[in-house]
This record gives sequence, structure tokens and C-alpha cells, in this order.
Amino acid sequence: MVDEPKSEIDWRAVHTMQLGATGFIVFLMVVIWAATGLGEYFWPIWVWFGLSIPLAVQYAVKRALDGPRRWRALSVHAALSCVSGAILTFIWLLTGFGFWLFWPLFGMSAVLILHAFLTVWWRALHPKREKELTERVDVLTRTRRGALDAQAAELRRIERDLHDGAQARLVALSMQLGRAEDRLDDHPEAAELVRNARVEASNAIKELRDLARGIAPPVLADRGLPAAVEALGERSALPVKVDARLGRRLSPVVESAAYFVVAESLTNAAKYARGAAAKVSLFEESGRLVVEVDDNGPGGANPEGNGLSGLKSRVEALDGILVVVSNPGEGTTVHAELPCE
Amino acid sequence: MRVVIAEDQALLREGIVALLREKGFDVVAQAEDGPGLLRILSGHKPDLAIVDVRLPPTFTDEGIRAALEARAKYPGLGVLILSAYVEPVYTAELLDSGGEGGVGYLLKERVGDVKAFVAAVESVARGGTALDREVVSELVRRRDPDGTDGALGALTPREREVLGLMAEGRTNTAIARALVVTPGAVEKHISNIFSKLDLPASDEDHRRVLAVLAFLRQG
Repeated sequence: MVDEPKSEIDWRAVHTMQLGATGFIVFLMVVIWAATGLGEYFWPIWVWFGLSIPLAVQYAVKRALDGPRRWRALSVHAALSCVSGAILTFIWLLTGFGFWLFWPLFGMSAVLILHAFLTVWWRALHPKREKELTERVDVLTRTRRGALDAQAAELRRIERDLHDGAQARLVALSMQLGRAEDRLDDHPEAAELVRNARVEASNAIKELRDLARGIAPPVLADRGLPAAVEALGERSALPVKVDARLGRRLSPVVESAAYFVVAESLTNAAKYARGAAAKVSLFEESGRLVVEVDDNGPGGANPEGNGLSGLKSRVEALDGILVVVSNPGEGTTVHAELPCE
Repeated sequence: MRVVIAEDQALLREGIVALLREKGFDVVAQAEDGPGLLRILSGHKPDLAIVDVRLPPTFTDEGIRAALEARAKYPGLGVLILSAYVEPVYTAELLDSGGEGGVGYLLKERVGDVKAFVAAVESVARGGTALDREVVSELVRRRDPDGTDGALGALTPREREVLGLMAEGRTNTAIARALVVTPGAVEKHISNIFSKLDLPASDEDHRRVLAVLAFLRQG
């Protein structure tokens, strides 16, 4: 729904004034009519009639404008037709059935029906707005996913390049320095310098390794989600049962998100549910990867906590959902679903 | 000692080969990928294979798979894995793979420290272990610091430290130096470790390996 500029006029006050004025005029008419001896003319009725027309039109049009934007022209038309029909009927009654009412009503209805038909037909031919919006949503969903996929793939490529390029050269450098150092036994000062250089090279390699590791743990990239989750379970301080039923590799971005959901949940469990046991389930169901981490600890985790809310935004960026149920005394369940077509 | 090497990065491979030859090892063959490693193993029957984890064609864990297969096929073969990163899963698989040969897992940059690298190569070729200190510290870090689990829970922090250094393949002298204690104190710690882990009295080297394995598997 598109917001429209709000009018500055207080319509409620305007209506009240209109009604007040109308009421006053009607009252005046009745008084005059009564004072002139209740003449056989029924003119006050015509005054009321004349006064009520603008009010009725105003009311009908205002109601008609409340509807959805795309049907607005048609509903204004219908409202005016109704008001006109009522006016005609009123005149017809008060003039003592002086004309055949059917034809004007028929004419108005015919025009209204034609308008409705044309509107529907036009919409069918040019279902612009809705279709545009639907398409836009589709495109955005696809491109967002594409961007995330591309980003994940790019990160893995960078990681591989680091490994094959800079890191390999630094290792070779470090080895040559090592060999040089080895031959400098007779020159301890020179050997010291070379050793320092080698240690620097080692530090650089370590920094590159830490960088690469933050992108994706090697076992996840190498062997996929079930193996990586098994590894997390084995390394956890809690006994962890892993039930991973996944027949295929998923896209890197989904794998990473699921991996970090499990990693973070198990870390939390180890921190807050000492002595408890945990269970991890992974399976695919109608195009969604379901990840669930359950522990029988004390519960009462705060779903808005730092780690969990970070996970939530990570999962939601993939159009997934993440739910944390952690009632005190009932353990904690972290349940995530990620689309994985 | 007869050594083969599987490493796809030529610069590193040739460097290691030159280094080992300088130090008197007999580098009998080189390979660039997993299948190549298995091929040269069957021909040369070496004491030790030095293997990079990431090898063609998949560039994932090709090297580990080839190493596991090699250990299954040639029980006495020592395997020293070189890797750009620490992955406890791979270490654990290697340690669990059976086979009587030695096992090593070192970060690649350790080849720069020539003396330590040569010591590790010799240790693994003789049937011992040589685990990178990063691997060991990763395992120690992940273990419950209260030490409530299993037989290892009975160890004192100092004994754990000694065990960690043993896992790196260090000798008693080297451990004594690292902890700034006398070699006698180290021997005492080690014999405490053996009795706490209930390791049968057999030759010292073998018990060391068993203790280290117990330590790592409980990770």
C-alpha cells in the first residue's frame, strides 16, 4: 500500500459544521412552514432533499475512496450511481410515480457494469502493479541469494588463493631461510638475523592461516556439513549425539550458516549447560535444511543474547528462520531452517 | 632412511627434498597427488611418506585419504602430514587409523626450523609421533579445563603439560628444557603418567606413543 500525503484539513470538524448548518436550516424551514400555517405545499421536504444531496454525495465518495487504489475509479462511480439512484427514487416517490423509474436506473446500471467489466479486463491485460511487485520481490530474493552465494564462493576462492599463493611462497621462503640458518652455525650473529627473519615469515603465515580459518573451517569446505558437525560434536566439552541425514553438498553459504548455528549453540551449551548432553539433528525437508541443537541443561537462555542474535541475522539473511526455546528447567532448543533449493 | 614425498607445490617439494638429502635422508621418489603417492609407495617401500593434506585433483583432503589408505596397506610406514592449517579431525583420523608406523602432523612453516623438522622426520620414521604444538594446544584448549573426563582427569596440570610436549614428539631432554626442570623430574612425571593411564610395561618408545594416543583420542 502506498502512503498518500495526509490532508491538513480536519474533516471531522468540517462534517460537524456541515451537519450543524444543515440541521439549523432544516429547523428554520420547519418553523417557517409551521408559522405560515402548514401550507399544502410540501416545500420543506424539497429543501431537506436539496440539502441532503451534497452530504450524501460527499459521504459516498469518501467511503469509495477508502478502497484499494486500483478499484478507486470504479467504486467512486458505483457510489455516485447509488446516490443518483436514491435521488431518482426519492423524486419518483414524491412526484407521485410521475415517470417510469426503470429506464434511468437501467441506464446507470448498464454504464456501471460496463465500467466494471472494462476495469477487470484492463487489469487482466495489464496486471502491472501487482505483477511488478511480485516480480520485484522475486528478483530481489534471487539477487540477494545470488550475492550471498557469490560472496561465499569468492571467500572460498580467496582462501584457496591465499593457500596456494602467498602462503606457499612464505613457506618456501621460511624453508630457505631455515636452510641458510642451518649453514650459519659458525656465524652465530648472522644465524640470529636469519632466524629472526624466519620467525617473521612464520608469523605472517600464521596470520594468513587465521584469516583463512575465519572464512570457513577446512573440514567444512573439504568434507561438507555432516562431517564438520560431527567434528564439532567430538570437540565439544559435552557429550554430543549427531544425527545428520544429508545426501548432498549444499551451497557454501547455507553450509556455513548451518555450521555456525551448530558451533555457536554447542559453545553456549558447553558454557551454560555444564554436565548436560546435547543432540544435533540435520536434515532436509521440502527444500529446507533443518538444523536443531537440543540440550538438557538448565535452560533460561536469552534469545536476544549476542551470539544468538548474530546467528539470527545470519539465518534471516538467507530467508531462513531461527527459533530459540529455553524455558528454565527444560533445556534449550535452537531450531533453524534454511531454504536450500 | 628411505623417504618419499607427495607435495604439489614444486617450490616447497624441491626445497624439502634438498633439505632432507643434505641431512642424509634417502629421498627415493616424489609425487604430486594422492594416486601418485600410492604408486610410488608400492614401488619403493620407503620408511616414511611426507604428505601434503591438499593435493590435486580435488584440493581438499586428498592427502589425508591417500595417507590413510597407505597406512592400511603398509602397516610399518610412517606418515608425516604437512598442512597449512590445524584440523583436529584429520589428526584424529590419522591416529585412529591403526598401523604400527609413526604418525606426524606438522604445519608447513615448521619446515623452516630445520633441526626440529629433521627431528620430527626421524621420530616418525622410527615409529614415534610428531604433532604440531598447535594441534596439541588445540586439543588441550578444547578439553574440559576441570579435567573431569576419563583417565586423563587424574593427571596433574604439569603432567598434562608434559604429555602435550610428548605429543609434539619431543625428547625428555627437550621437554626438560622447555619446562625449565631437570631431566630427572621429567622422567618422574612421565612414569606417573604411564601408571595413571594404566599403560603396560613395555619398551619406553611404545608406551610414549600409547600415552600420547590416549591423550589425543580423548580430545
